[in-house]
Amino acid sequence: MVSGAWFVLTRLCRDRSAMIGLILILALVLCALLAPVLATHPDDLFELHPAKRLRAPSAEHLMGTDRMGSDIYSRLLFGARITILIGIIAVGASLVIGVPIGLLAGYYHSWVSDLLMRVSDIFLAVPQVVLAIAIAQTLGPSLPNVILALSVTYWPWFARLVYAETRSLQNEVFVESTAALGASPFRLVVLHVLPSIASPIIVRASIGMGFTILTAAALGFLGLGPPPPTPEWGRTIAESREFLPDAWWYALAPGLAIFLTVMGFNLLGDGLRDVLDPRLRRDRGRG
Amino acid sequence: MTHARAFLALAAVFLVAISLMAMASPASAATRFVFANESNYDTLDPHAAFDVGRVAVRLNLYDGLYRWRDNPAVLQPWLAESHTVSADGLTYTFKLRQGAKFHDGAEVRAEDVRWSAERILALKKGAASLLATMIAPNSTKALDKHTVQFTLTKPAAIFLAAVPEVHVVNSALLNKHEKDGDWGGAWLTTNDAGSGSYQLSRYDPVIGFIAKRFAGHFMPWGPKYIDEIEFRHIKEDNTRVLGMIKGDYQGTGGYLPIDQVKRLRDAPNVKIVEQESMRIMMFQINNQRPPFNDVNVRRAISYAFDYDGFNKDILSGSVERNPVPIPNNLWGVPKDVKGYSYDLDKAKQELAKAKAKVDRPITVAYLTGFSQTEQAATVMANGLRKLGLETKLTSELWPTMVDKMKKPETSPDLVVYWISTYYADPHNWIGEMFHSGQWGTFKASCFYKNPRVDELLDVALKSTDRKVREKAYQDAARIVVEEAGGVWIYNTKYFGPWAKNLEGIRFSPIGNGQEMRWVYYQ
Amino acid sequence: MRILALLLRRLAWFIPTLLGLLAITFVISRVIPGDPVALIAGDTATPAQVEALRRQLGLDRPLPVQFVTYVTQLVRGDMGTSLYTTRPIADDLASRLPATIELTLAAMAFSILIGIPLGVVSALWRNSVLDHVLRVITVSGLAIASFWLGIMLQLLFAMRLGWTPLNGRLQGFPPTTVTGLYLVDSVLAWDWTAFSMALTHLALPAATLAFPALATLVRFTRAGVLDVMQSNSVLYEHAMGLPRSVIVWKYILRNALTSTVTQIGLLFGILLAGAVVTETVFDWPGIGTYAVNSIIRSDYNGVMGFTVWAGAIFMIVNVLVDIAQGFIDPRARPS
Repeated sequence: MVSGAWFVLTRLCRDRSAMIGLILILALVLCALLAPVLATHPDDLFELHPAKRLRAPSAEHLMGTDRMGSDIYSRLLFGARITILIGIIAVGASLVIGVPIGLLAGYYHSWVSDLLMRVSDIFLAVPQVVLAIAIAQTLGPSLPNVILALSVTYWPWFARLVYAETRSLQNEVFVESTAALGASPFRLVVLHVLPSIASPIIVRASIGMGFTILTAAALGFLGLGPPPPTPEWGRTIAESREFLPDAWWYALAPGLAIFLTVMGFNLLGDGLRDVLDPRLRRDRGRG
Repeated sequence: MTHARAFLALAAVFLVAISLMAMASPASAATRFVFANESNYDTLDPHAAFDVGRVAVRLNLYDGLYRWRDNPAVLQPWLAESHTVSADGLTYTFKLRQGAKFHDGAEVRAEDVRWSAERILALKKGAASLLATMIAPNSTKALDKHTVQFTLTKPAAIFLAAVPEVHVVNSALLNKHEKDGDWGGAWLTTNDAGSGSYQLSRYDPVIGFIAKRFAGHFMPWGPKYIDEIEFRHIKEDNTRVLGMIKGDYQGTGGYLPIDQVKRLRDAPNVKIVEQESMRIMMFQINNQRPPFNDVNVRRAISYAFDYDGFNKDILSGSVERNPVPIPNNLWGVPKDVKGYSYDLDKAKQELAKAKAKVDRPITVAYLTGFSQTEQAATVMANGLRKLGLETKLTSELWPTMVDKMKKPETSPDLVVYWISTYYADPHNWIGEMFHSGQWGTFKASCFYKNPRVDELLDVALKSTDRKVREKAYQDAARIVVEEAGGVWIYNTKYFGPWAKNLEGIRFSPIGNGQEMRWVYYQ
Repeated sequence: MRILALLLRRLAWFIPTLLGLLAITFVISRVIPGDPVALIAGDTATPAQVEALRRQLGLDRPLPVQFVTYVTQLVRGDMGTSLYTTRPIADDLASRLPATIELTLAAMAFSILIGIPLGVVSALWRNSVLDHVLRVITVSGLAIASFWLGIMLQLLFAMRLGWTPLNGRLQGFPPTTVTGLYLVDSVLAWDWTAFSMALTHLALPAATLAFPALATLVRFTRAGVLDVMQSNSVLYEHAMGLPRSVIVWKYILRNALTSTVTQIGLLFGILLAGAVVTETVFDWPGIGTYAVNSIIRSDYNGVMGFTVWAGAIFMIVNVLVDIAQGFIDPRARPS
């Protein structure tokens, strides 16, 4: 496994766009972790300075000030924390829910697997963003609820992927022989099937991060995310609208932040896909 | 060569034909006016809505017995020529003018007025909440073809102020379209049964309505007027502003953010009509819920809001600080009361004096889609945070908020919104806000109860002597401010954007200048 | 025969899946806080009146009973009445559908007409500057928040340059409704002012909606063309001396188009999901804003109506695409 990981990394290093993606992601993580240090006005997470509102970018305020006079750059850094948190937990939770379901459905050939796949079809029948909106509205706008809404709507992607991979693996000789040797289903799945399908899962997780962050921003934009004064990026864009076109920096900064973050995950995901499974290079599915 | 010539000849004929067609289409001489409205006109029924957002329907398509006009608002005879009041103040008799006609040609009779009043009470929407407190069903009488009599349940000084809201509808027409006892409601939602200066010609609940001038209106038309008016629903501020600048619209609502007003001032074809209006923004505090039932806690909250930061900086000085629950420019305001200011030291002192402890996050509620309320809530939360108090911001749509504010158990701790001029009388504000009998209405979500204040407000309501009423309201206001019943932020000014070549705009805080029959192009 | 079997099998799962979707949406929509009955009753209704209205609307009966009632009505074609507009949901959806269809068709046309040629060009001139630029754009296409893209386009084209209107579908009242598609209706009414107005209003939303679809199409077309270019048949043709342009048009484009058809289902998914957010940004009076408004207003029936419609359309499109795929490329038939 370790040598495999090393192999992946060296191959990855040669892929320029994947490297760019990795750098962008590392930059995001750094911003999030070091926000209080990197911020020029760390108090502006809460503080208001109405007299300084809507100032253009300057030396003092690198990205200008918002409608309350707070420093946009500093608030953006704190917003990175929220973005990462949402991404990691939502995708992580979808993984934890989706992978076992996919394995179960893929391994067994009974009505159980059909049922599980139908359930995931149901979730995929409506655009994810609509379902997420409905759930977030139901539970009330807050950070945990956004994460919940996103997890509940993204797991089918993992489930389906794992299901397809498991089914195709079942025809592989090594699986049949291990089963013939008397290995229990659990052992078989965890020790043999799972490692083989790890690659597509990792690729989907990376792309899923980007997708989830976009949907989270959309929820924030619609007012269904964490309430004010939380510096969530989507909400900031919504706030900025009434001050356009004069305060153009107000909408540009958070949008670029989202763009660079999602781009990072997408580039990395593509790079991983190219390295881990060149076979998949052609079917670049959405999501 | 012959081909080319033939082609040229054909082309010439074609061009001539086109230009003839273009010239033949009659140049339209009809004058048009388009207004971009913030709210959508989801119903045309004048008895189903009471709010300023949809007032264009009521002002232009319908008439009332009297009408509020100008600023300061004055009641003027409209469908009625005059009225008398009985000595005990319980009976109001109105004499209708003769010859007023509905849009379908039928004459406006006292029976229509009576029917309209009963309809309002029966449908229980719109102005019913106000009228039902003063007149009972089946008590209004049409004495003859042109005399209508209202009998009040108890003397009420504001009855006359509320009479303009009794919009007279064509009872015969509505009886024809009546279905399952709905008083013609289903039909009237999308149709016109009025007698007003303009007659409905087109309507779509999502888009808005178009109305044409009603030449047979009882009020004579001036030499110049507007033939066709259109009121469109345009949700976004930015779209309305851009549209005004481009000339797509000739008028829009006058309570835009000040940054937008500045842009409009600079536009060459727009003029800003600036007027003192009466529209208070305030935080209602839930006086019944601990710890807000403790006067010191409420005072602390009152000292924690950055009034100048909000009024002068965020709203760029376009509003006036209004420290009492009556608009500054209306009678009944105790001029000596300074109210509360942004003073964190005083706030901390009050908190220390309080018997109740604030040990949970305070819920500060604002209205979804109204960013000014969101900003006010943020400023309040910031002030409270400086006092060491935790806050939680929530938002609801206005109808949902109204529903929550009906009961003290569901009403938020603090909620910020406006109270506009439904009628120009202090009762519209302090009376409906702080009388304990008003609990359950959206204006009384402070759930305040003080028997002395109730007494004063009752006196003010009963008496018709202006001096008595003025003193009563002033005394009541003093007590309410002393007890910090709420946090009163500002009284707004009206900055109305209109096309520069429009004349005759008559602004009144109730109609917001949307009575189009006086307006014309230079 | 295989097609028929596939169709039947899909249909067999269609109903239960739809029912499942309805059940989930039903639960979600009923749990949404905010009382729509209070909304309809109005500002001035007393609690007693609100309760009376609730009884009248049948919203006081137990949830399972409400669900069964809803489904039985649905089978009869009755989607219920909007709690907010008090009009039948079917009417509400029907009046808004043309707006979304027009937007989606415009976006689709935009992305296909621009995306496929760009993909071909990108593949033919592989690794050129143009190819790299295009690849950056395509990666961005899936990384840009569509609501932000919409706002930025508004900022530039509507506010700063004044070339297009800011939002909405039209100014004021539309031309006489024949199809509900303003472009078509205005041509039928020979109203060229309305036509140009509708076009300028359509420009920005269609561009915003098309962007991710465009990016995907360019990618797929490029990959498809590269695939074909390296295939044996093309090498043979090239060796035989056929001019490059003929090869491009005859083989590559045709194959690229086939792969596009299979992607239309995918595209449709992107467009439908994107429509919800894009319509909200541009105040486009379509099904997307209807869905969001229904959710925010707790209009149960509206939410359910939208879900039924969206779910059904989605599933139908997926089946059709599968069938089309089966016809076009027998190798791709699902087993």
